[in-house]
Amino acid sequence: MVYYIGLILDEKRLEQIKGTPLEEKVQSLFGGQLKMLVVEVPEDKANEILKAFDRARIDSRGFLEDLPVAFKRALFEEVAKAKSLDVIDKVLERLPEIQEAAKKEDEYIPPPEIEV
Amino acid sequence: MALLKMPPPHGGELVYRVVKKKDFAESMAAGAIEYELKPTTTPDGVPIRHVYREIMSVCYGFFSPVEGSMTQNELESVLKERRLENGWVFPYPILFDISEEDLKALDVKEGDRLLLKLKGQPFAVMDVEEIYKIDPEDVATRTFGTPEKNPEVVRKPFDAKHPGWLIYRCMNPYVIAGKWTIINEPKFKEPYDRFWLPPAECRAMIKNVKKWRTCIAHQTRNVPHVGHEMLMKCAAFTGDVEPCHGILVNAIIGAKRRGDYPDEAILEGHEAVNKYGYIKPSRHMVTFTLWDMRYGNPIESLLHGIIRQNMGCTHHMFGRDHAAVGDYYDMYATQILWTKGIPSFGFDAPPNEVDKGLKILPQNMAEFWYCPVCGEIAYSESCGHTKEKQKFSGSFIRGMVAEGIFPPKVIFRPEVYKVIVKWWKVFGYPFVNKKYLEIKNKELEVDVPPMEIPKA
Repeated sequence: MVYYIGLILDEKRLEQIKGTPLEEKVQSLFGGQLKMLVVEVPEDKANEILKAFDRARIDSRGFLEDLPVAFKRALFEEVAKAKSLDVIDKVLERLPEIQEAAKKEDEYIPPPEIEV
Repeated sequence: MALLKMPPPHGGELVYRVVKKKDFAESMAAGAIEYELKPTTTPDGVPIRHVYREIMSVCYGFFSPVEGSMTQNELESVLKERRLENGWVFPYPILFDISEEDLKALDVKEGDRLLLKLKGQPFAVMDVEEIYKIDPEDVATRTFGTPEKNPEVVRKPFDAKHPGWLIYRCMNPYVIAGKWTIINEPKFKEPYDRFWLPPAECRAMIKNVKKWRTCIAHQTRNVPHVGHEMLMKCAAFTGDVEPCHGILVNAIIGAKRRGDYPDEAILEGHEAVNKYGYIKPSRHMVTFTLWDMRYGNPIESLLHGIIRQNMGCTHHMFGRDHAAVGDYYDMYATQILWTKGIPSFGFDAPPNEVDKGLKILPQNMAEFWYCPVCGEIAYSESCGHTKEKQKFSGSFIRGMVAEGIFPPKVIFRPEVYKVIVKWWKVFGYPFVNKKYLEIKNKELEVDVPPMEIPKA
């Protein structure tokens, strides 16, 4: 069984993959208002991720959700670096470092710099 | 078709156990045994409930006809049949629990009066009717049900990962039963003060100010995304000869599970929906009830029905996975209850069709999703493009928020998202976490004015 992780692309991320083969894989959601790359995750790797992060879960669409921001950031970094979606092993190699960063996320996540 | 009108309070009359006259309040408290209220905490010290919220909801009539902490017979009746001893439907044990150590120190007995203090100030009195022992784990399990005893809707045994089960499990082993009376009204802090509308005032507001003949309640523990907004708009098309005149948003305010949004953002997020015209304010009103949410899906829906009937609503919308967490219950458990009943929980018929049941009318709703073919937000029972649907997944949206990505307006209205960020900047976190629960427990939603109690 294959599961998925959705990587939402804001303008900064779209800029980073501009001109690469990844551009063709970008999916449009919500009438084109949201762009996303979908990374496939084999079952054994999905289980490894679920084990590493206790709040992570698989939703009704088969997507791994409630993953730490640090995980999503590392995943995008590897995707952008490799210009490929086949990077889950690379991310899992970085698991200890990601887990360490994720621990801090229980206490603090920097808010976006927007005017409220 | 007969025109609907505001239903009576559950149990016939609204409970109102608040003493406004200062000298009378002081005389009620004189000589009473003092006790400072404490939170319920997990074994590792995280506050997950504060009984002051239940005292407030009982005394201001949200939980009418309940008047205080339940006796042992009443507790058994609620656990067995979801009925109070007088026969009226009520879903949850309301208990004033106390540790053996505190009970010994108080040296209290039946017939005594307790002066309950909050933040060091007199808050309420309690007339002791009975003191008895409970097995908290047994109460927790019987409150929510088991797959063996409630096979219609319970899918797996409840455990410590379920926040509502954990609340009852973490209660102290002794219960003091008796009626509560507030003698020193707490003052709500911002932003809670502008959303506080107890049942008697809410009924008057609906009838005399808003002039809504029909009103549908929207339960929330969320900052509203556009899917919630569509649910409110579409559910409000029910009514009688015309759509409901009003939508009453009633947020549940109290300790919540980690990952939910802070209460302040929930209230102001819903307020932004009407403030910026997505549903005009003449048709939409935001209020709250103090209650540490138990996430009990069908059981919680009964409490929601009671609260909102007491507040004067004619209808209540119920979605899939209503007030649920995890997959302990069937995702349609609430809708099953309100469509045909759940016999093992004491309902051979829907709660609004049983003797001494509710008078509020259920409006069960399916899902809303974005359909790229229709080019709009669609109702799942209308839209035929099920393959193309794009769901408003709560966890997907939380992930987007946590990454700091400004959501498109088809997911969050920009003004609503800015409310999330406003409170994110205050708490350093967009969701409920341990730190938020600790701050909330320390500060609460209220301050209590100083009050001198004369010696007996």
